[in-house]
Amino acid sequence: MSSDIRKWFMKAQGQDKSAKPSAAAGAEKKKPVLSIPEKKAAAPSLVSCDHDPSARKKTSKYFGSKTEKDPDVEMADAAVEKGTDKSAAKRRLQKCSNELKDDSKPLPSKRPSKDIEDDDDDFVAPSKKKTPVKPPPTKKPKVEPNVEVPGKNDGEDEDGMDEDAKTPSKGAGRGRGRGGRGTGGAPGGRGRGGGGRGFMNFGERKDPPHKGEKEVPEGAPDCLSGLTFVISGTLDSLEREEATDLIKRYGGRVTGSISKKTSYLLADEDLGGVKSNKAKDLGVPFLTEDGLFDLIRKSKPAKAPVDKHQNNNSSEKLQKSQAKSSPAKVEKRAESSADKSIPSKSNIPSASSNNQKSKNVDRGSMQWTEKYRPKVPNDIVGNQSMVKQLHDWLKSWDAQFLHSGQKGKGKKQTDSGAKKAVLLSGPPGIGKTTTAKVVSQMLGLQAIEVNASDSRGKADSKIEKGVGGSTSNSIKELISNATLNYSDNRSKHPKAVLIMDEVDGMSAGDRGGVADLIASIKISKIPIVCICNDRYSQKLKSLVNYCLMLNFRKPTKQQMGKRLMEVAKKEGIQAQENAMEELAERVHGDIRMALNHLQYMSLSQSVVKYDDIRERLNSSAKDEDISPFTAVDKLFGFNGGRLRMDERIDFGMSDPDLVPLIIQENYINYRPSTIGKDESGVKRMNALARAAESIADGDLVNVQIRRYRQWQLSQAACFASSIVPAAFMHGNREILEAGERNFNKFGGWLGKYSTTNKNKRLLEDVHSHILASQQANLDREALRLDYLSLLLGQLTDPLKTMPKDEAVHKVVEFMDTYSLSQEDFDTIVEISKFKGHPSPMDGVQSAVKSALTRAYKQGSSSRVVRAADLINIPGMKKPLKKRVAAILEPVEESLPEENGAAEAEAEEDDSSDSENNDVLVPGDSTPKLDLQSDKKKGIQVQLDLKSNGNGSSGKKAPAVRSRTSGSGGKAAGGSAGKRKR
Amino acid sequence: MLWVDKYRPKTLDKVTVHDQVAQNLRKLVSEQDCPHLLFYGPSGSGKKTLILALIKQMFGAGAEKVKLENKTWKIDTGTRTLEIELAMLSSSHHVEMNPSDAGFQDRYVVQEVIKEMAKNRPIDAKGKRAFKVLVLNEVDKLSREAQHSLRRTMEKYSSSCRLILCCNSSSKVTEAVRSRCLNVRVNAPSEDQIVQVLEFIGKKENLHLPAGFAARIAAQSNRNLRRAILFFETCKVQQYPFTSNQVVPPLDWEQYVSEIATDILTEQSPKRLYAVRQKFYELLVNCIPPESILKKLLAELLRKLDADLKHEICHWAAHYEHKMRLGSKAIFHLEAFVAKFMSVYKEFLVATFG
Repeated sequence: MSSDIRKWFMKAQGQDKSAKPSAAAGAEKKKPVLSIPEKKAAAPSLVSCDHDPSARKKTSKYFGSKTEKDPDVEMADAAVEKGTDKSAAKRRLQKCSNELKDDSKPLPSKRPSKDIEDDDDDFVAPSKKKTPVKPPPTKKPKVEPNVEVPGKNDGEDEDGMDEDAKTPSKGAGRGRGRGGRGTGGAPGGRGRGGGGRGFMNFGERKDPPHKGEKEVPEGAPDCLSGLTFVISGTLDSLEREEATDLIKRYGGRVTGSISKKTSYLLADEDLGGVKSNKAKDLGVPFLTEDGLFDLIRKSKPAKAPVDKHQNNNSSEKLQKSQAKSSPAKVEKRAESSADKSIPSKSNIPSASSNNQKSKNVDRGSMQWTEKYRPKVPNDIVGNQSMVKQLHDWLKSWDAQFLHSGQKGKGKKQTDSGAKKAVLLSGPPGIGKTTTAKVVSQMLGLQAIEVNASDSRGKADSKIEKGVGGSTSNSIKELISNATLNYSDNRSKHPKAVLIMDEVDGMSAGDRGGVADLIASIKISKIPIVCICNDRYSQKLKSLVNYCLMLNFRKPTKQQMGKRLMEVAKKEGIQAQENAMEELAERVHGDIRMALNHLQYMSLSQSVVKYDDIRERLNSSAKDEDISPFTAVDKLFGFNGGRLRMDERIDFGMSDPDLVPLIIQENYINYRPSTIGKDESGVKRMNALARAAESIADGDLVNVQIRRYRQWQLSQAACFASSIVPAAFMHGNREILEAGERNFNKFGGWLGKYSTTNKNKRLLEDVHSHILASQQANLDREALRLDYLSLLLGQLTDPLKTMPKDEAVHKVVEFMDTYSLSQEDFDTIVEISKFKGHPSPMDGVQSAVKSALTRAYKQGSSSRVVRAADLINIPGMKKPLKKRVAAILEPVEESLPEENGAAEAEAEEDDSSDSENNDVLVPGDSTPKLDLQSDKKKGIQVQLDLKSNGNGSSGKKAPAVRSRTSGSGGKAAGGSAGKRKR
Repeated sequence: MLWVDKYRPKTLDKVTVHDQVAQNLRKLVSEQDCPHLLFYGPSGSGKKTLILALIKQMFGAGAEKVKLENKTWKIDTGTRTLEIELAMLSSSHHVEMNPSDAGFQDRYVVQEVIKEMAKNRPIDAKGKRAFKVLVLNEVDKLSREAQHSLRRTMEKYSSSCRLILCCNSSSKVTEAVRSRCLNVRVNAPSEDQIVQVLEFIGKKENLHLPAGFAARIAAQSNRNLRRAILFFETCKVQQYPFTSNQVVPPLDWEQYVSEIATDILTEQSPKRLYAVRQKFYELLVNCIPPESILKKLLAELLRKLDADLKHEICHWAAHYEHKMRLGSKAIFHLEAFVAKFMSVYKEFLVATFG
């Protein structure tokens, strides 16, 4: 067994390498070729595993270990890496490897490295911590000493050996993770969005009592597969996230709540909580942490098919050696073989090793995304129904449009739902373009793809008839001539289909692109498939009417995982299923991205495990959109103080508008974790005051940004309005109101602001009516602050105290005096309401209310209309939204006209603008007289409006315009202005 | 018709409270020319009344025939076109508007709209008064930019147009604008003057005023004549004949603010702060200007506050009021003030009483 491995490894490393110490040099030589530097290049591990200076290149641990160690060690590591089951053999191997290690690595060099590592951990973002980078397996012994007595070489090695044997690869990460946590008190999975999903952060959970003290066993891969766990409470030595990782690593599932399918409830203490109760109800067995370890340990001897691995290994090593020996040649070959390999792609995974070999040679020379692009519709991951729809649509296109078109439009109408083009939409990387191509290929259509890299502007009319100069012209040519092609030579020119890719990217450069596209669709004689990411895009609004909408969804992670597994298998990568699913999840359904990641990983490792994915995608996961709520949760989280500043800024800037509002809404609810003991609450109050101050500062900065466009200040705004308050207040959230849910609420400011504005508008209406009545000249503020109480009293008190008829009469009279409408009445009542105070309308009987409404309506015909919006125009239910213009005419001006010229004025009114409700208002000097004449006028105007009520709405706009433009002169004199019109 | 409006003096002759000012103004306009004017003084002291009477004095009854217009102005700023809707009251001789209604676009109102109107010389048939009057309300609420734009307009079009500015606090009007105007300070009437006015109204309305009743109203009105008259009428609506110990009902919002003050003083906790925020929202939604809330709140707090703290609290109130004007979200600043107050007060309480 060991010899097998040895052989494999040596070959992989290069032909000349045998199990001799000298191999190290060769390995180094190789390293540059294979290795891709990893981000978290655990520098310390370099120290630990090597004294070789070249090790400073420090790449993935695999390389570190593979290349820089004695061959025996290498082998051991390789075995470890394989993460497998060849345990018996390994044991032997490792023993010797460890011995070797001992020789090569004096203990002292290791110890410091661990410290460094730990320190390092503390600096690392918590989010990173969650996904422990696997240090070279050799490090394991160093961490173990927690339990075992350190300093004794033999003993330590023994331990290490055991451990290594038990826990290939992962154990190392685990042990180290623990070590780091133990010293640094690292927050549990704070930044790690993915794994902890479904688990709400209610502050800090208690640390496990024996944190990091137990060694985590190694077991056979997938030994837990098929088992479902639920974790409850604090475990003995593992953080919850660690336990989750552990289970997932061995193929188990972790769910959030107990169900019948749950295999075990993992708990070390019975808290009697919901989970344990339910578990008891359902008869789910309890499992302690030790039990879990046993379970894993037990599985270890179960050997997995070694053969298969070997098979892979051999092919891989072959491939590697080839790649190494002549990269240039390989490239060439790859090109030539690319064609070859394409047809084989859709083949069943059970390809022979030969087949695999040939493919593996290509590795690195061809993008997998191209290589594994589906060739038949069934290969497409997910969205099969969409694929089918597209297929059907394309298939029936000819019959539907070309032939029926010739027969006349009659048939088209029968199938009104049919669209001449189709619009595929969905997020990037889920196979829209591929679908379009594959389907058309399957139907024997020639696909012509036009995407954003081509100019897609409006076809130039000048050369439209000539030879197509630009792409758009050739498109025009194409779509209109399709039939010619078709009839010309059927076999040579198959029918074409036009694929307009990335139509939502048609922008500045493609002037009139969408419009032209629509025009093309109308005349097209070939099917057009449009593809976009965002079908709600403003640009595409006009297009969607002409297209059959097919909305592609992200494939599920299971679907993707399956596909990725196939790819991995074909590439000779050993991959865990849940690792692939994790990958699928991390890329948010973008299969293209997943393949790219996979290919990238394949360059440095041949085994892809759950942890690798976690590690690799940690950084890219950051780019995903986080909701403002998540951001605020994180900022305010109990351990929010441990976030790095750049992370805080990222959170704060994730939505610079909403995050501050949510912060502002919720900061009061937090009990700061920083203040320590605070019996009197003074410290908390102080923290609150400072947070509030900072939020207020943020508002000032925001004004600078918005009003004076000082966008360079946006970070300062984020700082003042989000980060500083969060820094003061982060801690546990508590509820302040009975019945409130203990989650961050959406900022209330927006709602209140819009209500305020609405009320201001309404109040402004009241204000202008009062001004129009000419009884008072006051500003809005005075109206609200001083007048309103009395107005309210005048309006409602009579209704409460006096007999109905009298009261109604009095109120209506008062309303008329101040030109108040019914709406104004409501407004005044509405904005006088205060929570906790009795409503002003309490005590007014509904009969009285309706009587008031009736009385007001009744009087409306004879009412003097003073404000434009007070007139009711027949045919319009609501008063005009916009108060357009002049309400009060100077008496001087109207009096002469009134002497017999009332009609003239009326005419003028309706010729100028039908809803210009210029109405007379009584002059102060002769109220009685004027009132009468006014009344007449008011009716007159209404009659006029009635006569041309139909046209009124249409004419309104232009009339308003003219008023606006001429308004400069209007002020000069009402009469002059009026005549001009 | 409310008494405030009914008994508002229509001419300068009839002005009783600020008769000296009125006389001076009358002399001023009778000289055929008139400088730009800036009226300032607290709310309810009679600025608007004086302005209207002054305009009537200048132009005669014609100035009283006003109409209300709501105009949309299209303003081209170069990069985009703004639409600003403004309400204005205009007669053939004067235009009254409230440029600060345009919010932070008030600059454009001043630059474009006012200039536009100021440019046009009124058609003057009789050969007198070859200028028109622009009345701008709430100039103290204009942004700094707008005020800077204003001063150029004032000089450039002084031949065809007179500006009458009206505001509460002259300190918020820039020096440059103030120096271009004749400043007219309109004091808040003294309580005695208010009592006189109330008694005058009582006589006209044939009401019997119990002794000291008018004085109580005057005291509660905070030397705001308009408010005093409104109080007076409110009392009348509520209960007539008056009794000497009749309660003068407080204004709804003032009452609410005092409740907030009581809340704050009885308990200083996050919970209470949260409740106070809700109440602030309630006030703001009901269109109470935040400045008034803060002012009233401070007054209420000071009434019950230990003398040691008064200075500090006033300082913080001023601090947050300043910030409120610079900022745009008033609630943040109100809340920050309350939080600060709670923090200071609580510390004080703990230090004093343990």
